[in-house]
Amino acid sequence: MHTLQFQPASAPACVLETHAIVEVPLSETRALRDAPSPAGAPALPPRFLRHCDEHTVVGVRAVLEAIAAMPEPAPSFTRYGVIAAPRQAGRIAAAQTLAQVAKAGGIAVSPHIVPQCSLHAIASAVSVALGMHGPNLGTSGGPEALSEGLFAAMSLVRSRGCDGLWLVFTEWDEEPILDVAGVPTNDPLCRAVAVAVRPHSAADAGSVTFSLAAADSVVRREPHTKPSASELVAFAWALGMCAAGGAIASWAHECPWGAEIRIASPSAAAQATRAHGTEHMRREAA
Amino acid sequence: MASSRTPDTAAVITGLGIVSPLGNSFVDVADNLLAGRSGVCEIAAAAGAREGRQFAAPVTSIPHPTAPGCDDFAHLGRLEQLCLAPAATAFADAAVAGTVRPQRIGVVLGIGAEQLKAWELDFLAGGTRVFEPRRDETLVHAIARRLGIAGPAVAVAAACASSGYAMALGRTWLDAGQVDACLVGGCDILSPTAIAAFYNLRALSRRSDDPHKASRPFDRDRDGFVMAEGGAFFMLERRAEAARRGAKVYGELAGVGMSSDAHHMVTPCSDPTEAARAIALALADAGVVPADVDYVNAHAAGTPVGDAAEAGAIRLAFGAAADAIPVSSTKSMSGHLVSGAAAFEAVACLAAMQREAVPPTVNLDAVDPACALDHVPHVARPHRVTIAASNSFGFGGANLCLVLRKAA
Repeated sequence: MHTLQFQPASAPACVLETHAIVEVPLSETRALRDAPSPAGAPALPPRFLRHCDEHTVVGVRAVLEAIAAMPEPAPSFTRYGVIAAPRQAGRIAAAQTLAQVAKAGGIAVSPHIVPQCSLHAIASAVSVALGMHGPNLGTSGGPEALSEGLFAAMSLVRSRGCDGLWLVFTEWDEEPILDVAGVPTNDPLCRAVAVAVRPHSAADAGSVTFSLAAADSVVRREPHTKPSASELVAFAWALGMCAAGGAIASWAHECPWGAEIRIASPSAAAQATRAHGTEHMRREAA
Repeated sequence: MASSRTPDTAAVITGLGIVSPLGNSFVDVADNLLAGRSGVCEIAAAAGAREGRQFAAPVTSIPHPTAPGCDDFAHLGRLEQLCLAPAATAFADAAVAGTVRPQRIGVVLGIGAEQLKAWELDFLAGGTRVFEPRRDETLVHAIARRLGIAGPAVAVAAACASSGYAMALGRTWLDAGQVDACLVGGCDILSPTAIAAFYNLRALSRRSDDPHKASRPFDRDRDGFVMAEGGAFFMLERRAEAARRGAKVYGELAGVGMSSDAHHMVTPCSDPTEAARAIALALADAGVVPADVDYVNAHAAGTPVGDAAEAGAIRLAFGAAADAIPVSSTKSMSGHLVSGAAAFEAVACLAAMQREAVPPTVNLDAVDPACALDHVPHVARPHRVTIAASNSFGFGGANLCLVLRKAA
């Protein structure tokens, strides 16, 4: 027997400022390294992406596209932080490095492998490229990247000295298949979703909000299952729908530990918790 | 942003676990740090290494933790052992199991290059994981599963500041009421590819004829850092709840400050402005002024640019008070634990508080004039430490300062 407890809506943690999704085949990431920024977005330093991992190339592009989507002039992001949550970044470079080391020894190790292919690399690249002085960090690196990145953001967005955060999620649509030299034999899509958020304030009544419901207030829908690549697509789709007032007005992402991150359009914010609870009650009854 | 923290909600440390080149317990680490002992030694050179003689600060033995969920510890890979041992020790030390609901316990692991290290170690053992399209469980979720932690589990990476960012994030969860206890810390492992990469970057000391003298932060003749491995974990709880269940308290994580240089992906920033801002943010977060600080544990790894920039940041953040605050770099003894460094150096601060002595910077024979501070060369200095600040700076311009306060 289930006891259903409906908690009041948790206070929004932050509001959406802009977002973008970018998907690029691996074969086209080389050209993207030197591509000019989209109109309305700042230019990158020359050859800035030369040594970067593919996830960084596509992640930085998503940030630029999200800035370009903002009404001009875009606000200053000087005091913004960056959280990047990739899934399996750096594997191609790691495979190629290890294959070369096996033949030639330590002299074959690029000094860029650690700074450019570690978990922090995407966040650092965004911070450096766009002059952001808030905290920059990577999270996860594995299958739970969306949960870990979003959950970290819900509290870090209110860090002292930080005006807001960029969140950058990246993944391969399908993992690269590598030969013994580490050379990819397929052409998977590299996908990035970039989201800018700032702390919620009373003046944000007309904004898309992010709020966190602790595990205690969440009624379990079903046993947790591993997220799939499409989870990030669903997240980006939900952001777009909520921002545009589309077919859905709210969306919830359930973390493996039971907490939920809820996104709500301005019109849905007041009703989101009630509707959510009703849905759970129906599921439980069924 | 104004803090809503009160004395009751302050984040206190109720559990501690360490695996390091200077020992695997608080007592051993404190003894070795205050005796000025070095953990740096010659290590077996990997096949294809750039130099015939290699040196580092390795962990020589990893203790088998007694916590439930660690029965198969001996069969785990070395990276998982290095992370699980201090995490399980801190978890057991805090004795939260049975007193705090598992859903209200979180874990944050600071680790900078988990996948790179895991792929490399597997490859060196003859495996092919790096070539395979796998999506394996990450270490933080394995630690949570083994220890029965059912709250949030997140891995964070900020290069050499990773474990400090883990501590910072865990504390924000306590502040926000998202957890009642949080296991925080980080760890790293020596690996041939990482040593080669840092060597090729010219970031490592090349003093292979005298490894014990190689790590010499702030010294005029410093020529790079010495790689190390290991790390530390802490259990954080709100003070009132820790007191309610009678937990022992090692100290308080009183303040955190974070910033980014936004300068370069690889080279350190010589402008101290943003590093000083991280220190100032941490002091403000702790509600203290520069003159309140009794000890600064410097990041200072022994690199020519980084040490001088940090000295400038300390001067900028502390102002005239810097003349009277003892500063040391325990990396002179422990080497650079990379992802685990910030957590290990927080342990050094707790040791200074408990023993009422500041650990020294060994090998500091001639202070670089660009690094002029109140240094503690060669031998520990008796000194009452109530508030300590610990700096950590990483690749990509990640700056972090932690402020720790002695347990009342």
